[in-house]
Amino acid sequence: MQGSTRRTGIMTDVHRRFLQLLMTHGVLEECDVKRLPKHCDKVHDCNATVEKPEDFINNINSVLESLYIEIKKGVTEDDGRPIYALVNLATTSISKMASDFAENELDLFRKALELIIDSDTGFASSTNILNLVDQLKGKKMRKKEAEHVLQKFVQNKWQGEKEGEFTLHGRAILEMDQYIRETYPDAVKVCNICRSLLIQGQSCETCGIRVHVPCVAKYLQSNSEPHCPHCNDYWPHEVPEVFDPEKERETGMSRSNKRSLRSRQH
Amino acid sequence: MLQKPESGALPIPQAEREMDGSHDGETQPLTASQEMSPEEDLGAVREEGASEPSLTPKGARALAAKTLARRRACRRLDRTVAELVQFLLLKDRKKSPITRSEMVKYVIGDLKDLFPEIIARAAEHLRYVFGFELKQLDRKHHTYILINKLKPIEHEEEALRGDGPRLGLLMMILGLIYMKGNSAREAQVWAMLRRLGVRPSKYHFLFGYPKRLIMEDFVQLRYLNYRRVPHTNPPECEFSWGPRSNLETSKMKVLGFVAKLHKKEPQHWPVQYREALADEADRARAGASVRARASTHLW
Repeated sequence: MQGSTRRTGIMTDVHRRFLQLLMTHGVLEECDVKRLPKHCDKVHDCNATVEKPEDFINNINSVLESLYIEIKKGVTEDDGRPIYALVNLATTSISKMASDFAENELDLFRKALELIIDSDTGFASSTNILNLVDQLKGKKMRKKEAEHVLQKFVQNKWQGEKEGEFTLHGRAILEMDQYIRETYPDAVKVCNICRSLLIQGQSCETCGIRVHVPCVAKYLQSNSEPHCPHCNDYWPHEVPEVFDPEKERETGMSRSNKRSLRSRQH
Repeated sequence: MLQKPESGALPIPQAEREMDGSHDGETQPLTASQEMSPEEDLGAVREEGASEPSLTPKGARALAAKTLARRRACRRLDRTVAELVQFLLLKDRKKSPITRSEMVKYVIGDLKDLFPEIIARAAEHLRYVFGFELKQLDRKHHTYILINKLKPIEHEEEALRGDGPRLGLLMMILGLIYMKGNSAREAQVWAMLRRLGVRPSKYHFLFGYPKRLIMEDFVQLRYLNYRRVPHTNPPECEFSWGPRSNLETSKMKVLGFVAKLHKKEPQHWPVQYREALADEADRARAGASVRARASTHLW
């Protein structure tokens, strides 16, 4: 065997299935990582030892190293759920989208991305995006067509949509992190608490720092007096409870009622 | 598309940049020995070292430069293999065969003389890491496809999201379709869902985007069929059971589900009940004949 196709991890069909599902779905959640191995046990070809989610992922990553890809763990910006995506370490472009979209569609994505990053809220309105349709590279695109393309972005988990406004999906934030930082070094925002890329979040009205909602929720969890992590001034925004997967399962129905903050805040 | 590799200008992952140390940035011209496989290169280096027991400082520097050049060639080869793996995975998702000339054009570039080795290594990665087999469709035209070596597991959706919301929604739709005589107009389906507080394009905390879930996921996964009803103006569409629903559940099971919802017995709907009974009988017969055939033929 030439080269290094095998590293420290051992791949079984459970790992392979997880990878295939991750590629099909684009992004998976923590509960998927927990559930899949257990489900595979029911199928005869899997062995009984079930790894912890972190070990499961690390195992696969050690094998993926030689392919310059990695399963990266992130957290959704609005409700703090852990998610996993497959990130390409070698190229810094939106190359993964390139195979699914035409040149003008990719340009639409880039234009929307720029609006999203420049915005205060992390959202770009459909109107503003569609107004840029004339400036697209490649074949001419009509606004009606562009609407469909935007929906395609949402379906393929590159963008999220809320009430006619578009933001980046957690998957895109994970996969395009490097690309975004390199392409928009001045406009890019970073969370003061976790230091990763910030698209949606809250900001301090005194010192201007920005934080992810789940990050500040965790930070303020134990504090009765909410204050800015940087300047200590009073934190004026509503902060939701920290995401708890156990609680989520039990109270499925009432979760949307309990959640006090779903909209963007600034 | 994936960037075409150019010598020296490939984006190198951070760890490697550190290993390279002071030579980073310098473009060592890849020597003619590039034509040899990395192992042959390394073998040649060892031979040279062995035949020159006492290297002069100049000789040592030349040897070091050659070793570095070969290591770079190896790394470049590794990266090309990695890019080819990703390229093949991406192309395969569109379900069209991949040609050798595409691979050379978009990934392999001027390493095309090493194509056999590169593709062999890529194939091994695909097999070991992802569970795909790279198969050549025909020898003459050099087209390839990926075959999934993993056995399809039942209830793949269940494996991920667990039973619960989405499959429950599916059952409601299957129930509606069945009770309406094995097909239901799209408008009827949405009317029922609206009563449950589910709107097509409004994000739902359990189902995500219901329209996408039903029209795309369920249809794509073959749980539902979706087709235009002929001779309707304005054009209407209808849903019926997809082949996967017939495999994973049955009319009797769905009738039972509907019955439970209404707190009644399945027999409460005599037409549907008779149809479900007939379906059960068909399934039993089909099962028996498959077993009979299997025992007389060599499959």
